Amino acid sequence: MGCGTSVATETQGKRVERAMKAAVLIQRWYRRYMARLEMRRRYTWNIFQSIEYAGEQDQLQLSSFFSFMLDNFTQLNGNGPDLISQLLDPVVDPWLDREICYSLILVPESYSGPRLSFPLSVSDTNALLAAFKEQQTLHARYVLQLLYETKKLLKQMPNIIHLSTSYTKEITICGDLHGRLDDLLLIFYKNGLPSAETPYVFNGDFVDRGKKSVEVVILLFAYLLLYPDNMHLNRGNHEDYIMNLRYGFTKEVMQKYKTHGQEILQLFQDVFSLLPVATVIDGKILIVHGGISDQTNLDFLSSIERHKVSGNKLRLTDGSRPSSSRSHNSVASTSSSSSSSSSSSSLCSPRTPSCISPRPCPSSPSIPYSINVLQVPFLDSLTSVPLPSPPQNEQEWKQIVDVLWSDPKIQEGCSPNTFRGGGCYFGPDVTQRLLLQHGLQLLIRSHECKQEGYELCHGGQVITIFSASNYYEEGSNRGAYIKVGRELVPRFYQYQVSRTTRKLTLTQRYVRAAEGSALRALKEKLFAHRSELMCGFQEYDQNYTGRVSVSEWALVLEAVLRLDLPWRTLRPHLARLTPDGSVEYQSCFEDMGPGIPLPQVTSNLAETLFRYRTDIEIIFNIIDKDHSGLISIEEFRHTWRLFSAHLGVAIDDSAIDDLARSIDFNKDGSIDFTEFLEAFRVVHKLDRQQEG
Amino acid sequence: MAPKKKEEPKPAAPAAPKPPEPERPKTPEFDPASVTVKHQQPFLFTDFKDAFQLFDRTPTSEMKITYAQCGDLIRALGQNPTNAEIMHVLGKPKAEDMQTKMLDFDQFLPIHQHICKAKDRGTFEDFVEGLRVFDKEGNGTVMGAELRHVLATLGEKMREDEVEQLMQNQEDANGCINYEAFVKHIMAS
Repeated sequence: MGCGTSVATETQGKRVERAMKAAVLIQRWYRRYMARLEMRRRYTWNIFQSIEYAGEQDQLQLSSFFSFMLDNFTQLNGNGPDLISQLLDPVVDPWLDREICYSLILVPESYSGPRLSFPLSVSDTNALLAAFKEQQTLHARYVLQLLYETKKLLKQMPNIIHLSTSYTKEITICGDLHGRLDDLLLIFYKNGLPSAETPYVFNGDFVDRGKKSVEVVILLFAYLLLYPDNMHLNRGNHEDYIMNLRYGFTKEVMQKYKTHGQEILQLFQDVFSLLPVATVIDGKILIVHGGISDQTNLDFLSSIERHKVSGNKLRLTDGSRPSSSRSHNSVASTSSSSSSSSSSSSLCSPRTPSCISPRPCPSSPSIPYSINVLQVPFLDSLTSVPLPSPPQNEQEWKQIVDVLWSDPKIQEGCSPNTFRGGGCYFGPDVTQRLLLQHGLQLLIRSHECKQEGYELCHGGQVITIFSASNYYEEGSNRGAYIKVGRELVPRFYQYQVSRTTRKLTLTQRYVRAAEGSALRALKEKLFAHRSELMCGFQEYDQNYTGRVSVSEWALVLEAVLRLDLPWRTLRPHLARLTPDGSVEYQSCFEDMGPGIPLPQVTSNLAETLFRYRTDIEIIFNIIDKDHSGLISIEEFRHTWRLFSAHLGVAIDDSAIDDLARSIDFNKDGSIDFTEFLEAFRVVHKLDRQQEG
Repeated sequence: MAPKKKEEPKPAAPAAPKPPEPERPKTPEFDPASVTVKHQQPFLFTDFKDAFQLFDRTPTSEMKITYAQCGDLIRALGQNPTNAEIMHVLGKPKAEDMQTKMLDFDQFLPIHQHICKAKDRGTFEDFVEGLRVFDKEGNGTVMGAELRHVLATLGEKMREDEVEQLMQNQEDANGCINYEAFVKHIMAS
């Protein structure tokens, strides 16, 4: 090489030129690849979030169904089971001491887990940490005792805890954990265990969704008992009975504690209702789980008896039943909100049984809804009828619901959070006003998953902190926590639990995995609303060509599903195009099929059961008192009739009877409802093909 | 056939040939007003609007993106321009403008359309041909190390972490990459 002739130079030059061109080409393609990956990541995130919030909104249906059942209990004939008394545990004021004889529970010799001794010491908490890392379960006896002690402690606490920083120690603030033990352990590892030198505030939502909610909450309570001055827990919206039924905590407890699960759950509910709702640092930083509303008043909030407000759902905690004067005559009128609230602690106004749409409809703004946990008569702000100032009880609930459920928004003002079904969307002006009013400078809240684990808004006056990494899928987001010292300047620490150490491809793996499951979840949503969607499509397709334009397709989806998603960008994953560029709308549903085809099940019934399967499962779990997995045919039939009446869905009685009988495989009069629900699980055909 | 490129490398000096910097394109300034935005397929614009919204990071959802995001968005929509082409259609902005200057949807459309019109985007074969340049032994593989070096030093240089992300898991035990498979991997997104 390098002989210096001009020919050689030219070849050399050409070679370099080719190399250059090749390099640029690869670089172009690579940059395109990365941009498309990023776009997929973003819409996958959008899908997960929309579906999550829409799911929480479905809570409304379930709790309104409970109210409906209560309203209609007189309709149950004498032969039917008294579902109402089954649904509602004898309500004990959480304040009162239950008959918990944990000391009578024998711990067998063979039990190798931690044996706690109260008052707790560091060796106990260390034993718990070690045990949970080894996947051990704490014995029911110690769980009960721990909860009992925690309840005693929490009773002494005010609604709002006031903390001070000092020059030598910073306070660490963590957000939602949702049963992710790995994240909690990672935080303890990075930041230190709770102690006098390392105080913590955990901002709610310790349970549900993740698989280790029990372990997470046991550790938190244990440290609370050990360091009551340096460990602080705020209540979140998931520290609640109905949320737990739906989002997995109840199931987890019952699975881990078959014998004593019920008792444990009851104590958990007491403890949850006694958790403080807010923390204030140095009189300057307010920490609540959800947010605020334009009605939030910290002085008022401090004065409420929080355990009473957040007690069991459908009765006053002083044991009085809802008055029967609240009859079907006073149907949905706007003034009924105040009458209902005066008669019972929580129910929405009575309505005529079979014609209520379960969804919040903008067209009927006058029907108040009950919020799941706290069952606050929820007034849609669209109504313009002036209402009398609501009574004390209702205001108290609103204070707590707002603080647990609200989300910040970009625009000014305060509007009801219809997406969640509780609390408000609060704008920067609301934040500003509250901070000024109470001499605060910062609001720290959680409640929403953020990709970086934290996010600032309202000009830096509101921080969202979220501590469950990989919340939607592995790689979806980081977790984070905040540290504040004397100067009250928050510092953020991020982390991400990862199964492998190859962080570089986390985004790529996440997009592939998460996109798949996000799209599957989305397709299930489409399937669950098939008939409504078909109606919508056919409105644009009067000639039954089977096709609509992409815009029309997107419009129908948006209107029926009410998920704010980039439908057109997602279209290639959801539906086929014809050569002329219109959408074959039937192709949306092609990929989905029923789990186990049951001949008695018409497609209409299948769709309804599929859509409400979570609700049905919850109701079954309630009816199945002994958690055997079986309910009697009679109970099944009755529940189903009520449920369909409530939904306003015409389901043939005989169809249900047939169904019930066919499901009763061993003909002993009881139904294994897990099997029943299996039938209505939806199978994704494409997945099947790939497996086969 | 190698794709046409706007930049023309200067011929190397005889003694020590260095990879030359690309010359600035000699095409005239880009005038967005000269682009007639086609209206025959109106629904496509709404497709783009969805994607545009995904990239909109303004706190008040103003439907605006920064100059810096423009290239990403165009690529996300399926084109693969060079950085130079992007800078050209943006009117050769200064480095500090990239994060501060914004584009709204109507300003974006003619830019995107112009990029779409550009010929010779490069097919699978072009891409493979490009990689074949580095295939010393002509056996369908390139050395991972060499490719990394090229991507980081030639053309529109990539950063080390970008190169790493691209090349992750592509090399076999000997550090070689079967480039046809590699190209399929890149083009499959």
